[in-house]
Amino acid sequence: MPLHIRQAGNIDDAEKFICAKPESLVIVNPAIIQHNVKSFQSLKNNWDKAHWMALVYLHYDQQVLGLFDGIISISDSPGTIISTIKKVLSSKHSQNTYISEDILSEREVEVLQLLAVGLSNKEIADKLSISINTVITHRKNISQKTGIKTVSGLTIYAVVNKYITLESVKPMV
Amino acid sequence: MSSSNLYITQDTELSDIVRAYPGSMLFLEHFDIHVPFQTKTVDKICSEHNISSDLFIAFANLYLGKDSYQIPKLRFSDLPAIIRYLHNNHKYYLDEIYPKIQQCIKLIMGLNDLDESKLVEKFFQDYFNEVREHLNYENSVVFPFVTGLYDVFINKIPYRQRNAYSVSEYKDHHSDIEEKLDDLMSLLIKYLPHKNDQQARRELFHLLVELDYDLKVHARIEDLILVPLVEKLEKQLNAKP
Repeated sequence: MPLHIRQAGNIDDAEKFICAKPESLVIVNPAIIQHNVKSFQSLKNNWDKAHWMALVYLHYDQQVLGLFDGIISISDSPGTIISTIKKVLSSKHSQNTYISEDILSEREVEVLQLLAVGLSNKEIADKLSISINTVITHRKNISQKTGIKTVSGLTIYAVVNKYITLESVKPMV
Repeated sequence: MSSSNLYITQDTELSDIVRAYPGSMLFLEHFDIHVPFQTKTVDKICSEHNISSDLFIAFANLYLGKDSYQIPKLRFSDLPAIIRYLHNNHKYYLDEIYPKIQQCIKLIMGLNDLDESKLVEKFFQDYFNEVREHLNYENSVVFPFVTGLYDVFINKIPYRQRNAYSVSEYKDHHSDIEEKLDDLMSLLIKYLPHKNDQQARRELFHLLVELDYDLKVHARIEDLILVPLVEKLEKQLNAKP
């Protein structure tokens, strides 16, 4: 399938492109929609065949990020970006309409992701430049919020909620 | 389970217990007591099965979640019946409920071609292996130890094995097993995406509830009844010259 890449500076321009190709993959700078949440929501409703992803380079409210089908972070490796995009393209319109609740803070999600791929408290602390005690506090909060205590249980939670891909857990399976 | 107020005494009929607390059918099975009960009372059935009625009533109240109930002083002669109960209880875990749950999970995960399906099956398999290891440890180490100790006591054999092994060593073995089961329950009722398999999920849910309940009572019987009684016996045997 030929790949057409278009760039739009605002929501209206983007809509023109999507109008021509309703099944587009739309990668959005969340800054554009941060103060236009309503018009973004109606855009999404109008063009429900499109796939919506955010390209994140700053901190954004979970409420804003929750509007997207998938999120790419500026610090993601090329492999992660590819798998995130593939996931978004394949998950849309499937029967499983599982919507994540976003009960965890951004930091807690980071800890969860590292925990789920098998890192120890010490390794997580080093990676995020925080103390082990802080990691333990985050873990306690994650367990309290999710109701899941074991690492293997949290790994399943992370996969279900698409915080990590199955591929990143695979070595352990 | 304590939805009924039936007060169990030596004269209570078994059929009344089961009607008041349907879950007690499983409890009775652990004592090798099966339907039909006819009009037998607790006293009658206990004498038929070599169980003291004190022990039966103590277990029944634990099983029915009657927390206000004070556990009576049990005798060393209750030990064989306690071990028999726990053995049967293990058999129920290993041969019946865990395999059933495993089948149910396989069925559900087979219907769902999801990323997490394999992880859930693996999660359960690891958990089941851990449980099996723990139960086998009790079957092959703890129970023979208790039976041996009781033999020494009853046959007045000189007791030599001081401090070789103590039943106190195996306290607190249960928390991890309960934690994983609890996680499985949370995943099922809170997170795992559903796909036209509500019936199998409901079945799995009931199986997990039944198992969870039985495991909790099992742990309480071991921690509140078996361990203190055996510790007392150990102490008495160790005190003898």
